[in-house]
Amino acid sequence: MTQVITETRQKWQMSLPRFLTAEHPFPWLFPASALMVVFGLYPLFKAVESSLYRRNAATRKLIFQPEFNWMKVFQDDRVWDALFNTLLYTGVALTFQLVLGILIALLLDSDRKGYGILRAIMTLPLVIPPAVTAMMFLLMLNGSFGVISRGLIAMGLMPHNFSILGTSSTAMAGVLLAEIWQWTPFMVLIMLAGLRSLPKEPFEAAAIDGASAVQVFFKLTLPMMSKVISIAVLIRGIDLMRSFDYVKVMTDSGPGTATETLTSYAGRIYFGNADFPYASTVALFTLILVILTSSIFMRIFKVKL
Amino acid sequence: MSFKGYDKKTFIADAARDFASRSISKRDFLRKMGMAGVGFSAFNLGLLGNTRPFRGTGLIGDAAYAQDAEMTAWLKDVSKPFKGTKIRYTSEATPPTVVLDKLKGEFTEATGIEVEIEIVPLEQVLAKATQDVQGELGTYDLYYLDQSWVATFAQDTIDPVQYYKDKPDLAMPGFDFEDFSKPLVDGLAVYEGKWAGIPFDIPIFCTMYRKDILEKHGIKPPTTVADFTAAVKMITEAEKGNGMYGTGLQAKSGHYSLNCDWTQMVWNEGGSIFTKDGKFSGNDEAGVRGLETYLEWLKNAPPESTNSTWDGQWQMGASGQAAIINSWDEFFPGWDAADSKVQGLWEISRPIQGPNGLRPAADAGFGEIPNWGHQGGSVLGLSKYSKNIDAAWLFMQWACSKDIMVRCTLGGGFAPMRVSSFADPRVKAKEVVGPGTTRHLPVVLDTINKDMASEPDMPLWAGFSNNEIPVELGKLITGQAYDGSAKACMDQIASLIDAKVKESGLL
Repeated sequence: MTQVITETRQKWQMSLPRFLTAEHPFPWLFPASALMVVFGLYPLFKAVESSLYRRNAATRKLIFQPEFNWMKVFQDDRVWDALFNTLLYTGVALTFQLVLGILIALLLDSDRKGYGILRAIMTLPLVIPPAVTAMMFLLMLNGSFGVISRGLIAMGLMPHNFSILGTSSTAMAGVLLAEIWQWTPFMVLIMLAGLRSLPKEPFEAAAIDGASAVQVFFKLTLPMMSKVISIAVLIRGIDLMRSFDYVKVMTDSGPGTATETLTSYAGRIYFGNADFPYASTVALFTLILVILTSSIFMRIFKVKL
Repeated sequence: MSFKGYDKKTFIADAARDFASRSISKRDFLRKMGMAGVGFSAFNLGLLGNTRPFRGTGLIGDAAYAQDAEMTAWLKDVSKPFKGTKIRYTSEATPPTVVLDKLKGEFTEATGIEVEIEIVPLEQVLAKATQDVQGELGTYDLYYLDQSWVATFAQDTIDPVQYYKDKPDLAMPGFDFEDFSKPLVDGLAVYEGKWAGIPFDIPIFCTMYRKDILEKHGIKPPTTVADFTAAVKMITEAEKGNGMYGTGLQAKSGHYSLNCDWTQMVWNEGGSIFTKDGKFSGNDEAGVRGLETYLEWLKNAPPESTNSTWDGQWQMGASGQAAIINSWDEFFPGWDAADSKVQGLWEISRPIQGPNGLRPAADAGFGEIPNWGHQGGSVLGLSKYSKNIDAAWLFMQWACSKDIMVRCTLGGGFAPMRVSSFADPRVKAKEVVGPGTTRHLPVVLDTINKDMASEPDMPLWAGFSNNEIPVELGKLITGQAYDGSAKACMDQIASLIDAKVKESGLL
């Protein structure tokens, strides 16, 4: 019976061109490649194509005018404000997540009893969808009944009748709070993995030489973790530069444009003004920015993926 | 205002007030909230502004009205060729849509035509419809069109009055287009002489007030902007310590709700959004005065007003945070719902009026109608790109028929589109305090007939009212820009809008 099956399979394979047989890489690469083409390349090409047209909102006519939207991007003040907000958002969130991530990872890097549970608990925020996290913080920051607002009022850190998300000077901080709360555990996980992979010998030698904990951290741990840190920064940095969920749900880019990032601005142009070509252009501008900054970062910090 | 002496219906509002003023401990507050059954669900996702102020089971009235037998027989007969067809449309969670979604099974049972209603936030409805018409895809057979989009989509829909005449074999007997309220047809459904759709929903600005609070402070229900401003100032001063403000606003920066509030303020001062020559006129004297009054109101509203849309504003009324609100009438049934803590405490009147009269519609641009009652209605439009036009047409007639409109009103307590529905004995019978109340409808009908205002009918308005206007207003009201100067904000909006209108070739 087995022989019959083997013979049949061989005959069937013989009738196929070689690139469709199991020996050739093509069949193995095809599913992933197809997904990339459908969900990555095709939308990208459509966005590029769309950005080359100018849309008349009154007539809905698309006129081929390749330079129009790209010129508009550079002349649009809101793009530059959004770029500033994007960089601010990315910089602040990344700094907090990185510092907290390393500190918490150092605290949790132990084999003592109970630490495994602590590490598991630490990862819980990651399983919550970002939009739900944003809703939670929207409620907690509500000026009338939000638990965070009431806590800040009780501690005398915030006046009564104050809306954190409804005030332009504090809204960004409110959104960042949600972002940092949710994604710090991700940094913790990466840092923990990095710490656990470090060789023990240098630390033992440092202990024999009487090095202090601070010296060990700055002279050994940090330099040896540099590759891990740079990869973590790269991954989170790319994510943060295209962050959308928290801003959309919590402030919808407001108040005014106080929390408007490049992606949320593109969304507003798309959903509000239905100017698909210009929205595509802003999205592509964001993509170029992400590629540029991550390439520079990789070159400076010699990150190899 | 001790708890014992107060109506039990205001239990939660009292507890929240006591907690805010530190008269009770957090433990006591939580215990009282537990007794009242308040959980996170009470502060539901509606706060995000994604839904309209329509509250679930507590609001729904009697739904046990059977479908008209003649209608069923006609549907069965006329729908035979379309059995097995599926039609789709996308809509915001408006009260009639929510009720219709519950009733649509009756239509499917009679016709064999399946109906899929995608209920999504308003901005997504706009984006989906725009994509559909841009590519002429026919993904959706019907369009839910907010009044501010009607001009944009009029070219993509089939005139229902004409189609009714053109297809007598599919025409519902006794459909009666004349029964639709004339102001609604003129202000909502018709664009450049063509019906873009059939009126389906008509929230409209009215003035609503807590009669107990007004009586307590010896204030008469306001009828003018000046009365309103004076009353909200007085109430805020007296009640702020108790967690109550004079008013509540839907002033979320960058959201259409802020645009709605602002347009009403401009009209109230005798202004308009556009002049008859198509120039933005929100920055003229009347427009600036209107915005300055709004800034004054904002000082007398809960701080979350700048982060609230219509749903947040409804919550302010429901939770006892606001005493007088000049906004959508469809808030009213929710406050009278079975599970409401302010049931029977709110009253409604025609919208407040400004000191200088109204700017005549002839002096405003792009079909704008300045008046005291901002309408936020919608129409159901029949897509000319649909692959199932006739099946969709049957559903549209059914959904907008006399019987279904009355039953939708009874199910949700919102204003019907048809004149006959207002006089229907079943609707009149529910003019009492309670779930699905219709006791506000006589005032609503009066407002529709006498005070109905409409935003401009222009293809660019959907963009302006969702982006340029509310974003720049948001910068002003939250202190991001303009240093409190209403004039500077309006001038900036004027420059943005005039440039875009010119660029599009509308001038």
